Amino acid sequence: MATANREQIIELDVRTDELLVNMGPQHPSTHGVLRLVLKTDGEIVTHVEPHIGYLHRCAEKIGENLTPRQWIPYTDRMDYLAAMNMNLGWSLCVEKLLQYELPEKARHLRVIIAELGRIASHLVGMGAYGLDLGTFSPFLYAFREREKILNLFEEACGARLTNSYITPGGATADLPPGWLEKCEAFLDQFEPVIAEYHALLTTNAIFIQRTAGIGVMSAEMAIDYGCTGPVLRGSGVDHDLRRDGEERYTEMYDGYAFEVIVQKDGHYPRDHDYPPVPPEAVLGDCWHRFYVRMLEVVQAIDIIRQGIEFYRSAEGDWGHPIKLNTKLPKGEVYLETECPRGQMGFYLVSDGSAIPWRTRARSSCFCNLSVTEELCRGCLLADVPAIVGSLDIVMGEIDR
Amino acid sequence: MLLGTFDLHTFLFVLFALTACLFAAGVLFSSNIVRMAFHLVLSLGSSAGLFFLAGAEFVGAMQLMIYVGGTLVLLVFGVMLTAQHRFLEMRTNAGEWVLSLVVGGALLMVLLQAAFSVSQWNTPNTERSQLAVDESKAATPIGAALAGVRVDKLQQKDAHLRAGMSGYLMPFVIVSMHLLVVLVGAAYLARPRMAVRNPKGGG
Amino acid sequence: MAEFFAQYMPAGVAYTLTALISAALLLGVVGVGALFFIWAERKVAGRIQDRLGPTRTGGKFGWLQSLADGIKLLTKEDIAPADADKTLFRLAPYVSLAPSYAALLALPFADGWVGWEINTAMFFLLAVLGLEVFGVILAGYASGSKWSLFGGMRQAAQVVSYEVPLGMCGVIPVFLCGTMSLTTIGNMQAGWFTNWLIFHDPFTFLVFWVYFTCAVASVNRAPFDLAEAESELVAGFHTEYSGLRWSFFFMAEYNSMLVVSGLAAVAFFGGWNGPVPIFASWKAAGGGWEIVANLAGCINFIMKAVLGVMLMIWVRWTLPRLRIDQVITTCLKYCVPLAAFCFVGALSWQLFDLPSPNDWVPAERAGRAAVREPWARGTTGSTQSSAGTSARLAQGSEVHR
Repeated sequence: MATANREQIIELDVRTDELLVNMGPQHPSTHGVLRLVLKTDGEIVTHVEPHIGYLHRCAEKIGENLTPRQWIPYTDRMDYLAAMNMNLGWSLCVEKLLQYELPEKARHLRVIIAELGRIASHLVGMGAYGLDLGTFSPFLYAFREREKILNLFEEACGARLTNSYITPGGATADLPPGWLEKCEAFLDQFEPVIAEYHALLTTNAIFIQRTAGIGVMSAEMAIDYGCTGPVLRGSGVDHDLRRDGEERYTEMYDGYAFEVIVQKDGHYPRDHDYPPVPPEAVLGDCWHRFYVRMLEVVQAIDIIRQGIEFYRSAEGDWGHPIKLNTKLPKGEVYLETECPRGQMGFYLVSDGSAIPWRTRARSSCFCNLSVTEELCRGCLLADVPAIVGSLDIVMGEIDR
Repeated sequence: MLLGTFDLHTFLFVLFALTACLFAAGVLFSSNIVRMAFHLVLSLGSSAGLFFLAGAEFVGAMQLMIYVGGTLVLLVFGVMLTAQHRFLEMRTNAGEWVLSLVVGGALLMVLLQAAFSVSQWNTPNTERSQLAVDESKAATPIGAALAGVRVDKLQQKDAHLRAGMSGYLMPFVIVSMHLLVVLVGAAYLARPRMAVRNPKGGG
Repeated sequence: MAEFFAQYMPAGVAYTLTALISAALLLGVVGVGALFFIWAERKVAGRIQDRLGPTRTGGKFGWLQSLADGIKLLTKEDIAPADADKTLFRLAPYVSLAPSYAALLALPFADGWVGWEINTAMFFLLAVLGLEVFGVILAGYASGSKWSLFGGMRQAAQVVSYEVPLGMCGVIPVFLCGTMSLTTIGNMQAGWFTNWLIFHDPFTFLVFWVYFTCAVASVNRAPFDLAEAESELVAGFHTEYSGLRWSFFFMAEYNSMLVVSGLAAVAFFGGWNGPVPIFASWKAAGGGWEIVANLAGCINFIMKAVLGVMLMIWVRWTLPRLRIDQVITTCLKYCVPLAAFCFVGALSWQLFDLPSPNDWVPAERAGRAAVREPWARGTTGSTQSSAGTSARLAQGSEVHR
């Protein structure tokens, strides 16, 4: 009987035909125009293939035909939910090439604005994540608070979504009088509201069931795929460019006291009264990624408060934008900043003219999205939005 | 005067009977199993309507719950779960037609014989219009007994004769067990057998 | 009502007229109920989310919004996808709406105010409510869309999981009252609110929540709205529907919400009996007073049912959606044992005659809970319901012979 290639009849569970489903590009929970091709066996997803490129606008090529300041509006439209942070990344990159030294006051202005942008972005991420899991109200609670941040942005620069506020050389304008007080009032009002989000989502039993232990990504895997930002820190990797980045970037945060939000020795930083980690949650799952974002919001509030104090006492000017036709020195620079969604890098090669010879943006979401296939393999259909949502992608940034 | 002879009870009876027959034929002549299930639902639902008309509400509701609700949903579920094309588009060959005609015809004969042997059913009911207005407000004793209560024994003084108060629940338990066994069996049959090479090379 | 009309016209016509009036009234409940609940849902959702909801259509509170929506839906094109099984696709909305309408038949709105007085109303309701899913499954299959198919499959999986605990929860009031007739169950809870079945003992209190959970699952509402999970399945089983056919699914959903809430009101919250027996003496007075008392009871009942629907709306706008395996786990692993435990507990409470809150209420009923099975009290035949039922049973069977 025992022949080498004997065929054996084995019985499998009840199974269905494999179904090929197109999730997106027009689908409620693909965050814009992501297209996922799912192979499903009943409710179980056996294979996921993300397709991108539906929002490609040739932003990088356009950047090679414009001066750096003219390209600022295009960076807005990459990660349109954190336009300020994108402005900042590009501005720092250009300043690095120009060896531009920023006045103290402009530095703190940028910190305040960038952290406000981080809060606004995480609020959308949080609300949309609730939407992915089928609850509508947190989304509107998040937008209610985000509106107030957008109002602040509007007062500072005139635009709400695509701000183009931070530019090489500082910002387009100083903060208007009375703005700081309004910002402080917002923070005072906003901080207690976070408990609402925790009650509705973070500590909600159904939310925990839907996210804890789902889409677990080990630290090694996160590093292998080049994940950054909250996705990386959610897996327990202690890495944040605001502390570990290039000096050109970290010097912006000189004097600020903050801790990187990551689970170390089994617990998160305890400077605030955070809700406890549920026992079901595994490090690197959707719940932790969400939790890191939530804690970063609280932390951003702290940083902004410090920034406001620094800004008030800072000497000097708020900086002035470089001239539109400033000649760029010959050379190439690359700078990564910690955007809300991860490390956003800008690369610039100059041939000595006012227009860059090559511009390139390194997208954080692109790398974060690349784990989808591995994370979603074998999960249920309902977990796909949960996992993709926890990566918090913005297609504008991936496709550029 | 036509309105006076018009009888809603009769009308509904004919309506339900016709739809039951029509959709039963629909089950026979459709090849798509989901359509078959749909026709079966309407046919069984109509026969439930007949039960309701006859005042056997419990049996009618039972019909709806078990046949229309439970079994058919399970059937459709099973079809979707095992979704194999040979089940979705069924082809009946001539031999099966003959066999089913013989079996079905024999069953029809038995039923007809039984129906015509009940003497009350042969004599016309003269008070039909009266019957129509009498809304049935009570389950028949047999209906209550099926639910597990022998109302006819409640007033029984003799303790020995009062035995068996639990009614006819046993048949229901047996039927439900039978259904369960059938379902388990169906699930077992639906398991596909796949030939794979034995990696270890031997038994 | 048929007897009343029969005095003036032939019996057949009287019977038909009665049937038509009842059907029209119930259709009114379906239509007006759907219009009202859709408006209420938008308004409540708006308030929950710090918005205003509809404000303009039809005046200050946007109360004509649903009507405007209805007109919009009427004018929309009725599209059937090319891949659809056209006949089934067109029929599915009716298959969905018909059972939820039929369920209203047996639901009493006040003592005797019921479309069709049947003895097994509870069983009938549960059976008919279970049929609604067939329309959903058909729609899922017939749409020829993969998302719809997923919705239909989920619905089928869901129905086999919630039907069992729902039935078990429904059985408890039946056993406590010794009848499946909803009218009788409602009447037995007359008196103070302590006589309501939910306050009968701790187990009935617990089982109401199990019932509510399963009822939410049975009407496809969040957190159990898997068949139409918009963030996963686009719109699930009704992805491909448009216009009026789509609105039929909508009406079926809202009507089912009303039915399960109404069933809860009758089975657990005393039906048309208010918390304080104000109208009891009016009802006894008979004649016009009785009608007024019944009208008050009807309002009472509708308020309780609407409260249940509002609770469902509240839940929907608060909780995230469960996953399919979690729904099945919730229903089969938690709700079934809980319902079974409550079943045993409530019956034991009854059997050992343990105290009920109603015992301490100075009521006319001499300190005993009114809800007692006749033969458990030891005085067989002394209660009206038991004797009356048997008498009517005998009568009924004679008529049929």
